[in-house]
Amino acid sequence: MEVQKEAQRIMTLSVWKMYHSRMQRGGLRLHRSLQLSLVMRSARELYLSAKVEALDLETPSTPTRCPDPRLHPPREAEVPAACVPPDGEPLSPEPMDTQEDEEEASPRAAETLARCSAHPARVGRKRRSSSLSNGVDAGLVPSKKARLEEKEEAEDASSEVPDRLLPPPAQAEGAFPNLARVLQRSFSGLLNRGPTAPPTAPPARDAKPVCRPADPVLSVLVRAVVAF
Amino acid sequence: MFSGPRQRGLRLLTHAEWCGVPSEASVLLCKTVSMRAGDLAQWFRCLLHKRKDPSWISADIISTVEFNYSGDLLATGDKGGRVVIFQREQESKSRPHSRGEYNVYSTFQSHEPEFDYLKSLEIEEKINKIRWLPQQNAAHFLLSTNDKTIKLWKISERDKRAEGYNLKDEDGRLRDPFRITALRVPILKPMDLMVEASPRRIFANAHTYHINSISVNSDHETYLSADDLRINLWHLEITDRSFNIVDIKPANMEELTEVITAAEFHPHQCNVFVYSSSKGTIRLCDMRSSALCDRHSKFFEEPEDPSSRSFFSEIISSISDVKFSHSGRYMMTRDYLSVKVWDLNMESRPVETHQVHEYLRSKLCSLYENDCIFDKFECCWNGSDSAIMTGSYNNFFRMFDRNTRRDVTLEASRENSKPRASLKPRKVCTGGKRKKDEISVDSLDFNKKILHTAWHPMENIIAVAATNNLYIFQDKIN
Repeated sequence: MEVQKEAQRIMTLSVWKMYHSRMQRGGLRLHRSLQLSLVMRSARELYLSAKVEALDLETPSTPTRCPDPRLHPPREAEVPAACVPPDGEPLSPEPMDTQEDEEEASPRAAETLARCSAHPARVGRKRRSSSLSNGVDAGLVPSKKARLEEKEEAEDASSEVPDRLLPPPAQAEGAFPNLARVLQRSFSGLLNRGPTAPPTAPPARDAKPVCRPADPVLSVLVRAVVAF
Repeated sequence: MFSGPRQRGLRLLTHAEWCGVPSEASVLLCKTVSMRAGDLAQWFRCLLHKRKDPSWISADIISTVEFNYSGDLLATGDKGGRVVIFQREQESKSRPHSRGEYNVYSTFQSHEPEFDYLKSLEIEEKINKIRWLPQQNAAHFLLSTNDKTIKLWKISERDKRAEGYNLKDEDGRLRDPFRITALRVPILKPMDLMVEASPRRIFANAHTYHINSISVNSDHETYLSADDLRINLWHLEITDRSFNIVDIKPANMEELTEVITAAEFHPHQCNVFVYSSSKGTIRLCDMRSSALCDRHSKFFEEPEDPSSRSFFSEIISSISDVKFSHSGRYMMTRDYLSVKVWDLNMESRPVETHQVHEYLRSKLCSLYENDCIFDKFECCWNGSDSAIMTGSYNNFFRMFDRNTRRDVTLEASRENSKPRASLKPRKVCTGGKRKKDEISVDSLDFNKKILHTAWHPMENIIAVAATNNLYIFQDKIN
């Protein structure tokens, strides 16, 4: 998909720029790092939602109740109004954080889910427990809650409209090694803590399965900003 | 500006080019050009002849331009840490046409590269900002800053020297005491004018992050310096102490969402200052309310248009410069694509928004790729606050007349700036069929950018820094 590729390219570019700005004469610039991480995060979000949308389209039995308008952007992948949450707060993520991602993103993810899912509260709780609470390694550990989610999904499918943000396991798995490869290609050798998620990792049932391999890279790079 | 009954134009007044020599980088080969056509041609020939390597080095890139309060002096700083001051030539009867040229007055090395051993970081010598102090005696004073250290420089003239010492001869050697048979009174003798620049104060070790702004207060005694997360207040006489007046550093740096991008004092009210942020907002603070101005008095923010959101919204809405009008009623902010004028009495939205290069909105992705999107364009007011100016790419700069709502794009280039001739307005073709004299967006040169411009405080004279070239244009009177 073109949107996905574009988002992926921008993510790769951002990581590359972050890495290189550390070697800049005069030291790391806080403003630049902040801006790079902002772009990186909006690209990541778009990439993930494009992924989910693509999966939804491939499974016609899953009705899409709230198609994400960001998936049909103009050439420059502009994000239209509809993707802004109802309270007017832009979807743009907070910068240069990885752990904070949990607190910040969870309510937002829950909010998004609330529009699609019948169990917003449970989904929110679930997100919190399965996201990157343990920092770098968290993304590599398959969460037990995912199993629980499987049951929920089954329940949802029977009673309510299925949560569109929960992709089928096989496809979710296929998605992130792809991203991991992209990032690995650029950074193998540069970072000893690269994306180590094996392609055979258990299928993630998280709302954001594909972001996991990227996060170790991000957190290593992004943490450097803090090291002043 | 251009609102007269007849179309007036800008003509080249002075052009100077920095062409450093890598082996002796501290030597500045600076040339000024006189107004007459013959001279200009001669100068270029001479220049080309002298320069073996036509490429300039990055130390030659001009990083700041600033007129003093009278407009007679123009200071420029560059990436090599040098400050070059130009002085306007006074009118003379022998050269009636010479009025207004700017010639090199003084050149000095303000900052040297340093190394921070604790952080194992190199500190660049690049001059980030220069601010003049109001003149109070025959000497001129200016503040110059790099990323970490601010320096107060005194620029003074000397045209006399003492002569006739008793113990020294004319060459300065000690005389044999037995040969001294008579005593004399030393006298002052006129000599060739010498301009001296001496560092008077060095304000160091107060900024953890990179200094982006300095601003002299209207009380003439204090000034502020702003870095990414803090603003400090200094007394011009005291170097070992400064007061932190703004601190936006979060307890946990992972929660950081915005940085300070520029700060400036109000031109008349010594207790008021503003600072802009990377989120596109401006905060006005009153130093009378508390010692630490963490709570702003006014908060200027324009609601974002959700239809124009993109990956790069945060970058392009970041404010790169904020400037109060001379009257103190308005302020102007520059973001990546536009320049906005705010009334200090209205916080909800700007009173004017001028598009600088809106045609770049569809090119943001490639501008991100080539890092241009991080360029920090500055902006300036004319003396009467009726016009504003800011830079763009391809050596273009834009002027906006606030009264007539007219705007013009001009180009600062060697080829186009023939003396006497007026600058011709340029037009960028934004889709459709390209007309004659128009330039298409795709053929713009993004390496040629005008980030720094300055407007004479009283007259229509502007200084435009185009990479390693300085152009001074004057509004044609006849």
